[in-house]
Amino acid sequence: MERFCQGDAQAFDALFQRYARPVQGYLARLTGSPATAEDLAQLTFLSLVRARGRYQAGSRVRPWLYAIATNAARDHARRHRRPEDLTPEGELPLTAVADTPEPRDAGLERAVQRALAQLPEGQRLPILMHRFEGMGFAEIAEALGLTESAVKVRAHRGYARLRELLAPLQQETSR
Amino acid sequence: MTPECERVLDRMDGPLPPDLASHAAGCADCRALLEGFQVLAPPASPPPAVPIDEARLEQTRRQSLTELAAHPRPTPWWREVAVLLATYLGMGVVGLLWVGRNGMLLNSASPLAVALVALLIVVSVGGGAMVALAPGQRAWPFTLVAVGALAVALAQLSGRSGVQVRPFLAGTLGCLGAEVMLSVVPLALALVLLCRSAFQPVRALAAGLSSAGVSLLVLHVHCPDGSAGHLMLGHVLPWFALAGVAVFIRSRLPSRSFAP
Repeated sequence: MERFCQGDAQAFDALFQRYARPVQGYLARLTGSPATAEDLAQLTFLSLVRARGRYQAGSRVRPWLYAIATNAARDHARRHRRPEDLTPEGELPLTAVADTPEPRDAGLERAVQRALAQLPEGQRLPILMHRFEGMGFAEIAEALGLTESAVKVRAHRGYARLRELLAPLQQETSR
Repeated sequence: MTPECERVLDRMDGPLPPDLASHAAGCADCRALLEGFQVLAPPASPPPAVPIDEARLEQTRRQSLTELAAHPRPTPWWREVAVLLATYLGMGVVGLLWVGRNGMLLNSASPLAVALVALLIVVSVGGGAMVALAPGQRAWPFTLVAVGALAVALAQLSGRSGVQVRPFLAGTLGCLGAEVMLSVVPLALALVLLCRSAFQPVRALAAGLSSAGVSLLVLHVHCPDGSAGHLMLGHVLPWFALAGVAVFIRSRLPSRSFAP
């Protein structure tokens, strides 16, 4: 990261190879649209280059990158959604991924997407980062600008709520 | 959430050690947590992959490298703060020379009160610039910025001279106009610099208060009118209004970068 901050293209390439796909996957899950995720991933990496003067030496790269990606998604939601499409809290409701090939268990995948969509953004973001991106709670806290304990409480509530929302489906599959 | 529940949360992406497993078996909260975690994707299968357009990814890489080649040296964030503060200083001097053509320091309150309030405004201008532009993952609390602004406003009202030299309407409109005019350049620069990071309302508010604070300071030391009504309508309310305008304009401007 230090070499990239000094303008080293090879260092940027190494960062890009490591993080481009995970970041795009995260954005696709966050926005519910792979096409939007492509645009936002582009903005995320352009932001990474443009704002590297704001990177604080010694801090972790991944939380900073995911913070940029999350901000890009929030900005996109703020600009491209009609007010009636937003939740009462002004957050983006997650929509099911529409233009992807159907997964093997499409019904389960859609149910999970719907359940995630019902979580408030404060619970959904920690769960997406923890469950799908494999980030630790300390990293998530850095990315979201929260304390680690606040992230844990949100994740705890989010997982418990997901279990409630998906309980009928679980019962159906266990029959 | 008990400390054991927190340990379960930390270690639930792998097999739990026996002590935590026995805790989780008897704890309703932990059972809900683990079932919620496992229901997202069964442990045996990885989360569903999102399809990636490799050509588009390569385009993103090339575009980023072009940007990097065009600007090989990063601009440190503190340089932007320094540029903004230098502009504030220049605008303050120009403003004082302009409004003070017929006398610069006309505030007839006690010199100590004038100096203390001026110092408070200077601190809020500098602090506002830092809150607006310094990088940080964690947003400053909105209430902290609002309370700081209210403290400056109250200090100005309580340190007033109480005298009224000019007719109320003419004096108030004169100060209001001067405050707006002197704020245009600092506000425009602050907005340009704000667009180099992600939009945060509290940053925009701090930038607005900070940039309009320059003209507030000029009027504070120069204005001979010290009635509460004049200070409220001619000095303080325009200051708040300009900060609101800054938040509104920033929310409409595109961001050049989404870094925190």
